[in-house]
Amino acid sequence: MHALKPFLAVCFALVASSAVIAQDRPRVVAVNYALQYFAERLVGDDADVVFPVPADQDPSFWRPSIADISMIQSSDLILLNGAGFATWVDRVSLPRSKLVNTSAAIEDQFIVTQSITHSHGDGGEHSHEGLASYVWLDPALAIAQAEEIAAAITARNLASTDEVETRLEMLRTDLEDLDADARSALADLQNVTFIATHPRYEYFANRYGLSVRSLEWEAGIMPTEADLTQLRALAEETQAQVLIWEAMPPAGAFEVAAAVGLQSIVFSPLAHGAEGQTFLDTYADVISAMAEIGTQ
Amino acid sequence: MIRSFALASLFAAAPIAAAAHQLTVFASVDCEVVLVEAKFSNGNAVQQADVRILDGQNTLLTTLPIGQDGTLSIPLDSVDHSEGLVIEVDTGSHHNYWIVTPDDIARNCQS
Repeated sequence: MHALKPFLAVCFALVASSAVIAQDRPRVVAVNYALQYFAERLVGDDADVVFPVPADQDPSFWRPSIADISMIQSSDLILLNGAGFATWVDRVSLPRSKLVNTSAAIEDQFIVTQSITHSHGDGGEHSHEGLASYVWLDPALAIAQAEEIAAAITARNLASTDEVETRLEMLRTDLEDLDADARSALADLQNVTFIATHPRYEYFANRYGLSVRSLEWEAGIMPTEADLTQLRALAEETQAQVLIWEAMPPAGAFEVAAAVGLQSIVFSPLAHGAEGQTFLDTYADVISAMAEIGTQ
Repeated sequence: MIRSFALASLFAAAPIAAAAHQLTVFASVDCEVVLVEAKFSNGNAVQQADVRILDGQNTLLTTLPIGQDGTLSIPLDSVDHSEGLVIEVDTGSHHNYWIVTPDDIARNCQS
């Protein structure tokens, strides 16, 4: 027992010191995985980067708890996506000095998705335009977001300017390579129509000249008979060949799609991270899967 | 703006245009009251709505009617605000919320 005491004391000291270090590190909060990935690449070990949305919830519509907001308010930097992504940011008080809209420089490239007409109260009928918000699926726009994050990190002295600039250059190179690979791999798919289970891929499609029509299916669940009726109608109208699933559906779903004449691809839009994969891994895998379709 | 995707799909629906988005709720706080304001996105004040006050554990503390001018003043000493408050406004067809943290209350109390 006596021999154990020094060992235990060292262990205690290590645990205590690591707790202090963890507490002292600056904290960056991101509203989606893509921004978390970019921030982690840029800030390195100089700060913790937190994406607080549970894996089973849509980051666009996540409703945070009071404790979540208290944590976010006390962070050093809050990375917003812009384009209407993460509705919760308009329902809380956030310190302006810590907020960064990562798409501020690319608002002229936002994609208007649709117009909804409805009425409520005595306000009469009116319309609301929507914006596609998954901007990071266009690597060129992702680079612009990364540049905003890098500038915010250095402006707040969360990491050294030289290191952030070096990391940004590496990230920019990775995203440019990804873009070049995608452009090459998807070049033969200009005449292929895709159907997506949810409208997530507007910027991706726009970047690579693809035709993607969208349904409004829940992610990760078996389509209902009503869903399949919509799918059959849209497939017939568009002569689509491929169905893009936002998340891996239950067993048997690919066969259901095949019965409608559609090949299946799973393409996580990276608002959440995929387990064991980085942003670049997931994106590259999707490009490869799509390229295979082009060769068939 | 790139409008090539506008109405590109009969089924496409932008997440940000969900019905709940069309009701704006805002709550400000000082040492004595939480002032809730609710209006539609066209600027009209909400005239009829239930305002639900929840605590930090998401437990419903009370439900009150909103005033004719779309506001409601809630005395802080009438609710347990030690862990913050969630303010939900529900008109029946639209609903939205605002979160007040303990820091919001403390900060505005000091100012």
